[in-house]
Amino acid sequence: MSSIFGIDLSALQAFQQAIEVTSNNVANASTPGYDEESIELETALPQDAGGFAIGSGVGVAGVQRAYSQAAATQLNTSQSTLGQLTALQNYTSQIDNLFGTTAGGLTTALQTYYSGWSAVADDPTSSSAREALLGDASALAANLNSTSSQLQEMNSDVNTRITADVNQINSISTQISSLNTQIEQRTGSGQAPNQLLDQRDELVSNLSQLAGVTTTSNSDGSINVYLGNGQPLVLDQNTYQLSTVPNEFNASQLEVASTASDGASISSSITSGDLGGLLSARTQSIDPALNQLGQIATAVAQSANTQQGSGLDLNGQLGSALFSVGAPVATSSSANTDATTASVTISNIGALTSDNYLLSYKGGTYTLTDATTGANVALTGAGTSTSPLTASSVGLSIVLSGTPASGDQFLVQPTAQAAGTIGVALTDPSGLAAAGAIQTSAADSNTGSATISGGTVLDAANPALLDTTTIQFLTPTTYSVNGAGSFAYTSGGNVDLNGWQVKIAGTPAAGDTFTVQSNAGGTGDNTNALAAANQQTTGVLSNGTISVSGAVGALISGAGAQAQQVNTAQTAQTAVNTQAQTNVQSVSGVNLDEEAANLMQWQQAYQASAQALSVANGLFTTFLDSINGTFS
Amino acid sequence: MRVTQSMEQAQFLTALNQLESSISTTQDGISSGLAFTTASQNPVGAGLVAGYNQVLAQSQQYTSNGNSATGSLNTEDSALTQLQNQLQSLRDLALEANNATESPADLSAIATQVQQIQGSILSIANTQDGEGNYIFAGYSTQTQPFSQSATGATYGGDQGQRRVQIGAGQTVVVGDNGDLVFNQAKTGNGTFNVTPAGTNTGTGILGATAVTDPAAYTGGTYSIEFTAPDAYQVTNSGGTVVTSGTYISGQAITFAGMQVTLSGAPATGDSFAVAPSTDQSVFATVQNLANALQQSTATPAAQAQLNNSIVAAINGIDQALDNTQTVQSTVGARLNTITTSQAVATTQQTQLQQSISNIQGLDYASAVTNLDSQSTTLSAAMEAYTQTEGLSLFKYLQG
Repeated sequence: MSSIFGIDLSALQAFQQAIEVTSNNVANASTPGYDEESIELETALPQDAGGFAIGSGVGVAGVQRAYSQAAATQLNTSQSTLGQLTALQNYTSQIDNLFGTTAGGLTTALQTYYSGWSAVADDPTSSSAREALLGDASALAANLNSTSSQLQEMNSDVNTRITADVNQINSISTQISSLNTQIEQRTGSGQAPNQLLDQRDELVSNLSQLAGVTTTSNSDGSINVYLGNGQPLVLDQNTYQLSTVPNEFNASQLEVASTASDGASISSSITSGDLGGLLSARTQSIDPALNQLGQIATAVAQSANTQQGSGLDLNGQLGSALFSVGAPVATSSSANTDATTASVTISNIGALTSDNYLLSYKGGTYTLTDATTGANVALTGAGTSTSPLTASSVGLSIVLSGTPASGDQFLVQPTAQAAGTIGVALTDPSGLAAAGAIQTSAADSNTGSATISGGTVLDAANPALLDTTTIQFLTPTTYSVNGAGSFAYTSGGNVDLNGWQVKIAGTPAAGDTFTVQSNAGGTGDNTNALAAANQQTTGVLSNGTISVSGAVGALISGAGAQAQQVNTAQTAQTAVNTQAQTNVQSVSGVNLDEEAANLMQWQQAYQASAQALSVANGLFTTFLDSINGTFS
Repeated sequence: MRVTQSMEQAQFLTALNQLESSISTTQDGISSGLAFTTASQNPVGAGLVAGYNQVLAQSQQYTSNGNSATGSLNTEDSALTQLQNQLQSLRDLALEANNATESPADLSAIATQVQQIQGSILSIANTQDGEGNYIFAGYSTQTQPFSQSATGATYGGDQGQRRVQIGAGQTVVVGDNGDLVFNQAKTGNGTFNVTPAGTNTGTGILGATAVTDPAAYTGGTYSIEFTAPDAYQVTNSGGTVVTSGTYISGQAITFAGMQVTLSGAPATGDSFAVAPSTDQSVFATVQNLANALQQSTATPAAQAQLNNSIVAAINGIDQALDNTQTVQSTVGARLNTITTSQAVATTQQTQLQQSISNIQGLDYASAVTNLDSQSTTLSAAMEAYTQTEGLSLFKYLQG
């Protein structure tokens, strides 16, 4: 009889616990990382009833969580990729929005600037047209400055977020190692620490969003966590903290280091997760955009300044620079053992690229590699001021202050600073060189039919450029220069002298004279302004094949294409990730209808057991009553 | 597959975000009228549109340059027309003065008129445009190009020719320097010039001159000398006699491809120099005429000198008219060039605008349809979610 009570009691206890597990499932239906739990019941050991066995009730074997290691790993991998793309997308779309369809108004500013030159060409003496051009030039410079500073802002934002990510990764690593300790203890004592396992899995999942990680399990229940490239973060109860270190060439850019790497940068091996996305946004989007913008700024400034130097301003002087622009930067690696510095100048704007270059000195030899493509760039020269290192294929010329130590490296950024530093150097509108430097004339007394062209400046630096030169024909086929010499004349041939070039064509008569002289006073001339206005479409970059406007168009399409590609990849990865989440949820999630059904099942079982107890009680009472009659 | 409530919720939220973001993009398009507002929506299109916009703006700049050039050329054209009128009046006066019946007083009156015309021509030569720039000064537009001198006028400008860009790689000259317009009329008939010696004592007067045989004309200098009142000889620069003959008044003397007609009665020893034409300033021509008109005409020889001066002046005026017309026709040709290139530019601009609109312009019909279908999807998604969310077994456990 007593065994009935025992059986019923065990059932009431078991079903009560089952209802507790179900209630706990319902309570945690929305808890991130919670895995649905189910109670496992088992038959209690049977009692020997003499020849046959009767069950002795029900026992709780354990509480299991619904967990699939495969689904969880798949989700973590997917989250790492999504994290990387989301972080990258944040910046590519910022750049895309910043540029819009006009490169942040750059196309308009450039157009206005070149139209300004055209207006000066239409009326070279108009001071209002000149003032307007200076204003247009300032607006262009301001536009480049502001776009550049917004890109720089993005770089500092990247730094902030890298620091935040590193701190969070460290905090999570510490939590995982402490959970490892607790789980080891519980596992040792035979309990299944489901809640701790859930927490640890959730932390690994969070970690995988920040940086791609892999885990391995140990027999004691603890796990090891590694960064994608095998750099350990957590080994059992030990953590390896990450830290931020300045880039060896650019202290304003933070890199990731680890105590496991003795503080050396491990950035290049972090390719996924939010951290991977931040690092790739910097190297693949922000810095290239800055460099390209700088290339445009350098092209605008250099070509305008060169043109200014080839013409005369209203005061009859050769024009001074219209724009000031930051020169290329060469920074020494912080690992260099020698204090030698490098300085770089642009020797050929046509060959200039928007890439950065790495100059290394090893075993007495300099090598220059493209930091983007890794391609080797041919170098000539010794690196001294008399024989600079010349990389003619990329238009750079490098001078070192001494001989570096073997193994020293320098990062050459030809255009990174240009967009941020471009400014208008000219303040006086009369300083705009609208007029050509020279003017040519034929003497009225000439009897031949030869004519002289307006002339072009080949070398504005020639000190004799503005000297008056008389070309006199001694015979119809020979001429003297300033009364000296006798040179053969070919109709239509070029005469190059003193840095200018003129063309005389036709049939001259003996005694005919032509004069080339300074155009001072020729304030109505617009030759130089026309040439400056034409620079908009003149091929300046890529060896004369791409104009400034073309480069801006390429910048817009390039940034747009990258943003589009990242958007597409991010959308696709979101779908993959949703699928991975669904898989995990499908295994581990809490279905409330299921729980409701379970609840009813356990409730009914409980009620039935209680009823059984009541029956047992009835039996017992009946028995007592019958005895009571006998003994009263 | 096992479905949980949080899955449903997460999926609903993802779908909601995507739908709302699509609706927002479509709305952006409708309110801006653009098919894309960032390059990522159409990288190739954005690059093309940037290029087209630049070409369009430049083409518009060329049109504006053309308008400015047309203004300058019209100013020059009307100055040249005035110049021709003045030269024509001058020619009429010279013809009037060439009449032997004119009294010294008449001649003096004509001289006064000639000087007035000279003043007018000077003011034409110093014409300024609306901005105060001298149009005939070459590059030196701030310098008054011509100033009166004893021998006519001196030119203070230069030989520069300002150009304006009216198309890709196409420039047009917008001004002609004063040297070309006023200083480069040829003397004589434009090929050679015959000048009576100042020491002539006879009444030989220069008549028509011409090149009759261009093949034989070599351009050297010659002298027609009278060895007797009825005999002449022509010598070249080396002193060699080229031809000689009997002089008959009004009959042409032909040598070295040239034909020179003299009339009147030259005296023995009189000579006429023949040389290739040189450039002569219009002002010098006028000044010479004015000076000649004020000389005494008391003797037949003096009268002949006056007549010869007037002939020289008429030749000079004819050449100046010729030169002016040549310049004016180039001005006309430039105006035509501008008109043509502006017409081309207008067509190009229309095409570019069309291309830009084709790429970046929004197809409203499809955008509105899209918006409609996106809104429908969104409200359907919301409806579906609220319906399924309401389904819970717990509802039936109550009570």
